[in-house]
Amino acid sequence: MTSGLEKDIIIRMLHVNKRYGKMEALHNLSFEIRKNEFVFVTGPSGAGKSTMIKLLYMGESASSGAILVDGINLARIPRKQIPMLRRKFGVIFQDFKLIPTKTIFQNVSLVLEVAGLKAKEIYPRVMDVLERVGINDRAEEFPPVLSGGEKQRVAIARAMVGQPKIVLADEPTGSLDPDSAAHIFQLLQAVHQAGATVIIATHDQQMISDHDGRVVRLENGRMATGNSDGNKNLC
Amino acid sequence: MLIFAAKRALTDIVNNKFLHMVSIVTIALSVFIVSAFSLFFNNATDFLDAWRKGVRIIAYMGVNVAESQRIELMETIRKSNGVATVEFISKNDAYNDLKRKIGQQSSLLDGLDKNPLPDSVEIILADSYRRLEDIEKLAKTIGEMPHVEDIEYAQKWLYRFNGIYNLFKVTGLVLVSIFFIATLLIIANTIRLVMYTRREEIEIIRIIGADEAFIKYPFFFEALAQGFLGGVAGLLMLYLAFILTVPNLTPETVFAFFEIRFISVTFSLTIVFCSMMIGWVGCFFSIRKFLKL
Repeated sequence: MTSGLEKDIIIRMLHVNKRYGKMEALHNLSFEIRKNEFVFVTGPSGAGKSTMIKLLYMGESASSGAILVDGINLARIPRKQIPMLRRKFGVIFQDFKLIPTKTIFQNVSLVLEVAGLKAKEIYPRVMDVLERVGINDRAEEFPPVLSGGEKQRVAIARAMVGQPKIVLADEPTGSLDPDSAAHIFQLLQAVHQAGATVIIATHDQQMISDHDGRVVRLENGRMATGNSDGNKNLC
Repeated sequence: MLIFAAKRALTDIVNNKFLHMVSIVTIALSVFIVSAFSLFFNNATDFLDAWRKGVRIIAYMGVNVAESQRIELMETIRKSNGVATVEFISKNDAYNDLKRKIGQQSSLLDGLDKNPLPDSVEIILADSYRRLEDIEKLAKTIGEMPHVEDIEYAQKWLYRFNGIYNLFKVTGLVLVSIFFIATLLIIANTIRLVMYTRREEIEIIRIIGADEAFIKYPFFFEALAQGFLGGVAGLLMLYLAFILTVPNLTPETVFAFFEIRFISVTFSLTIVFCSMMIGWVGCFFSIRKFLKL
C-alpha cells in the first residue's frame, strides 16, 4: 500500500548515472522531490545541473538508474508517450529558447496548440498569462526586439501557460541584470504558490541565500548535499 | 491539428520563398518535360492509329491479265490474313479518277496516246491488323503473287515515323525516370534545408511536448504544396507552349484526318497527383533521415 508520503513524491531519482562517452556527467544520483516543493539545484559549472534537468524532461536519457516522474518510470516510457510526459513540465532556459520568427503571443500559444486546444480557448489563456508576467502589451512583437528580462518573462509565460505540474528552470537569471533577475524570481515564486513544483538549477548563491527552498548541491556529477527534506542549512 | 499544420506550412513557404520557389520551378520544368513527352506519345499513338485506319495497299497488275486470273488473284488476296476488302480498279476507272482529281490540268492527259495507268487492286486492311511489321509482311506476300507488278503503300514514311516514335519512347522513358529521381531528390533536399533552418524551433517544439505528427505534418503539407504548385505550373507552361505552337501547324504538315489534342483532364490531374506524391515521398525520406524516426 502506498503511504501518504510516498504519494506526495513527484520526482524520484535512484542511482542515476549519465555518461557522455568516457566522461561521467552524473554519478549515482539519488534523491526525491515532493509535490509543490521549491528546490534549488546548485553547484559549480560542470557539476551536472543542466544534465539533471535534461534527464527530467527527457532531453537526454540516463545511462543507468531509474527516474520516476509523477509515477512514470522514464526508462520504460513508450516513445509515443514522451510528448505527454513533457507536457507535465514547463521548462525555462538561460538562453530563453524563444522562436524569433514567431510573435510573443505565438511563442506562448504554441504550448496550447501542441496540446490540441482550440484557438478560441488559446487566446484568453495566453493573454491572461502574458498579463501576469507583465508583457501583454507587447504580445504582437517579436522576441529579437525584447530585452533579456522581457524575453525571460515570455519564457516563464510559456512555461506557465500549460499549467504544468513541474517547472524546470535552468539558470533562469544567468544572463540578467539584478533587477530583472529579482523580477524573474518573483514570477517563479508566484508559479510555485499557484501549486507547481519548481526546480531551479543555478549557481547564483546570492539568490539561494535570499530565498526559501530546499537546496540540492552537486559536485562533479555527484550529490554533495540535499537528499533529505528540508532547509538549506542541511545542504 | 491539420489546420495548424497547414498554417505553419504556409508560413514556412512564405518565410523561405526563394528555397521553395527554386524547388517549385524545378518540379515545374520536370513536369513540363515529362508531360510534353506524354503529349507527343498520346498524339503520335492517335496519329499512327488514325493513319493505319486509312492503310491500304495498292497492287498494280501487269498487262494482259485475263479476267479469270484477276478474279483468282483477288480471291487469293481476300483469303490472306488481315485483309478486310479487296476492290478491283480498272485502268479506265483509275484514269477517270485521276482526271477528276487534277481538275483544270486534266487537259494534259489529252495528249497521251493511250491510258498509261495499269489495272489495280485496292486492299483495305482489317481494323485489328495495325502492326507495321504485319502490314509490311502482307504487302510483301501480295507483291510476290503472280500478275502483280508492283505494290504501293506509304512504307518509307511509315517506317520513318515509327522509328522516331520508338526512339522517343525509349528516350522518354529514360528522361521520365531521370526527372522522377531528380524531383524526388530536389524536394527531399528542400525539405531538409527547411528543417535545418528550423532545427532549433523543432527542438523547442519537442521540449514543450509536441508529438511527431505535430512536427512532421507541416513538412508534408509543404512537400504536397510544392508538388501541387510545381505540377500545375508545369502543365500551364505546356498548355501555353501548345496554344502558341499548334495553330502554326499548317494543314500540309498535319493530315486532315488527324487533330492534335492536348493531354486529357484526367491525365493532367494524374500528373499533378503524381507530382504531389513525389513530394510526399521525398519529404518522407527527408524526415526519416533528419528526425531519425
